[in-house]
Amino acid sequence: MNVAASINRFLGFALALLMTAMVTSVVWQVLSRYLFVVPAAWTEELARFLLIWIGMLGAAYAYRQGSHLGIDLLASKLSPGGQKTLHRVIHLVCLLFAAAVLIVGGGALVALTWELKQYSAAIGMPIAYVYSVIPASGILMCVFAAEAMARGPKDEAV
Amino acid sequence: MELVVLVLVFAVLFAIGVPIAFSIGAATICAFLFAVDFTPAVTTVAQRMAGGLNSFALLAIPLFILSGQLMARGGIARRLIDFSKAFIGALPGGLAFVNVISCMLFGSISGSAVAATSAIGGFMVPQMRREGFERDFSAALTATASSTGLLIPPSNILIVYAVASGGVSIAALFVAGYLPGLLMGLALMIVAAGYARKHNMPRGERVSLTETGKRTVAALPSLLLVVIVIGGILGGVFTATEAGAIAVAYSLLLAVGVYREVQPSELAEILVKSAETTAIVMFLIATSIAMSWLLAYERVPAELASLLLGISDNPLVLLLLINLFLLAIGIFMDMTPAVLIFTPIFLPVAVQLGMSPLHFGIMLIMNLTIGLCTPPVGSILFVSCAVAKTSIGNIVRPMIPMYMALMIALLIVTYVPQFSEALPRFFGLID
Repeated sequence: MNVAASINRFLGFALALLMTAMVTSVVWQVLSRYLFVVPAAWTEELARFLLIWIGMLGAAYAYRQGSHLGIDLLASKLSPGGQKTLHRVIHLVCLLFAAAVLIVGGGALVALTWELKQYSAAIGMPIAYVYSVIPASGILMCVFAAEAMARGPKDEAV
Repeated sequence: MELVVLVLVFAVLFAIGVPIAFSIGAATICAFLFAVDFTPAVTTVAQRMAGGLNSFALLAIPLFILSGQLMARGGIARRLIDFSKAFIGALPGGLAFVNVISCMLFGSISGSAVAATSAIGGFMVPQMRREGFERDFSAALTATASSTGLLIPPSNILIVYAVASGGVSIAALFVAGYLPGLLMGLALMIVAAGYARKHNMPRGERVSLTETGKRTVAALPSLLLVVIVIGGILGGVFTATEAGAIAVAYSLLLAVGVYREVQPSELAEILVKSAETTAIVMFLIATSIAMSWLLAYERVPAELASLLLGISDNPLVLLLLINLFLLAIGIFMDMTPAVLIFTPIFLPVAVQLGMSPLHFGIMLIMNLTIGLCTPPVGSILFVSCAVAKTSIGNIVRPMIPMYMALMIALLIVTYVPQFSEALPRFFGLID
C-alpha cells in the first residue's frame, strides 16, 4: 500500500459523498417544488458545482484506475522495452497536460475569480472555491502520472 | 496552421495510446499556443473546461448512470429475457429475436450499451449456442443490438447532443429516438430472420398464457422506470435532469427494497463506480468542449460550411457525404467527443440544407452508433467478444450483413425526417 493508493482510496470515499450530495440536492429540488410550490433556489446551483467537483476529482480517480478511454493497439505490437518507453511517454503527456492546463491554467483561473470577487448567484459562494478543484485535480493527476511512470507498464496499480 | 497542429497532435497522441480525453486536451492547448501566449492560453482552456461542465442539463448524465448501475445489478437481465421469450421466443430462431429485444430493453433501462452487452450477452450467447446458433453470430448480434439502446431513451448521448446543439429540447430528442431505435432493432431482426431461415433454426418453447402473465408482472417494475421517466418529462411534471433524480430514487427503491438484489452495504461501491463513470464522461466533455471552442475561435465551422456548400447544393449528396465522414470518424472516435466536436461543425450546414436540428441529432447519433460496433475501437465489441469467448477478428464477418442493415436504416432516417419528427410533433414538442 503506497501513498498514491491511499490517496486514491480517500478520493473514492470523497466521490461517494459528493455523488450522494448531488443526487440529494436534485431530488430535493423536485420535492420542494411540490411541497412548497417555489423550488429551492440553491439546489440547482449546488448540484452544478458538485458536478464540476465530481467530474474533475473523478477524472483523477479514473486516471489512477486506468479507466480513461484510449486505444492500446500500438503497445501490443511493441517489445517489452518499447512498451516500457511508450508507457512513460503516454503518462508524461498526461502529466504535462495536467501541469500546464489544470495546475497553471486552473490556478490562474482561481486567482482571477478571487481577485474579481466573483460570487455565485444563489448560494453566494466565491466562484474561486468551485474552480479550486481544477488545480487540485491537476496535482493529483501529476502524482498519479509520476507514480505510473515509476511503476512501469507491467505492474498493476494496487 | 493551428488546425494542422490540432489534427496532427491529436492523431499522434491518440494513436500511441494516450487516453482520448487527454489527447483532445493536449491537442487543443498545443494549437492554441500558436495563437496566444502561454498563461492566457492555459487559463482559457481551463476556463472552457470548467464552464462546459457548469450545466444543469449535463447533470442528468450522472443521475442516469447511477440509476443504470442500480438497475443493472442482479436479475433484471433474466427477467427481461423471460419477458421477451414469452412473446417472441416461439418464432423460428426465436432466441435471436429475444436477444435483440432484450438488449434494446436493457439498453434503454440501464442507459449503457456496454452493460446491456455483458448482462444480456452473458445469458443469451450460451443459450443461443445450445440451440445451434454460431458463437460469432450470437456475439455480433448482441453487440449491434445493444447499441440501439443509445437511441432509445433515456439516453445520455442524446443529452450530450442537446448540450452540443445549444438548445434542442431533451424531451423532444428522447421521444424522437424511439422510432429510429426501433428501426435499427427491426433491421437487425430481419438479418436474424434471414440467418434463422438459412440455417433452419428451431422454434423456441411456447409459453402458456398464465406464464406470460407472470413474466410480464415480474418485468413490469423495471419497465415502469422508463414509463415514469418519459411520462414525467412528456407530461411536464419534471425536466430531464429531475427525471434522472426520480429514476435514481425509483431504482434505489426497486433494487434495495423490492427485488432486494442490492445490499445497502454495496451502495458505497455503486456510488464510487458511478462517480468514476461520470467523471470519465465529464472529463471527455470538458476537453471536447474546449476543442470545440477553439475550432469556433478559428472559424473552422464557417469555413467548412462554405467548403461543403461549394461542393454541391444538393441536400441528398451533402447528407451522404456528411454521413460517410461521420461513419469514418465513428470507427476511431468515441461518441461523446465526436458529438461535441462535430455538431458545431455540421449542424449549421445541415440546417442550411433544410434539416431540423432535432433530425440532424438523431441522424448523427444513429451514425456514430454504427461506428461503435466497428473495430479497432469500440468497448461494446470487446465486451461482447469477452462474454462470448471469441475474438474481434472472428465476429467481423457475421457483422457485415448487420452493418448493411443498419446502414439502410440510417439512410432511411437521414432522408425521411418523419421518422425523427413525427412522435415529437404528435406530443407537441416541436412545431
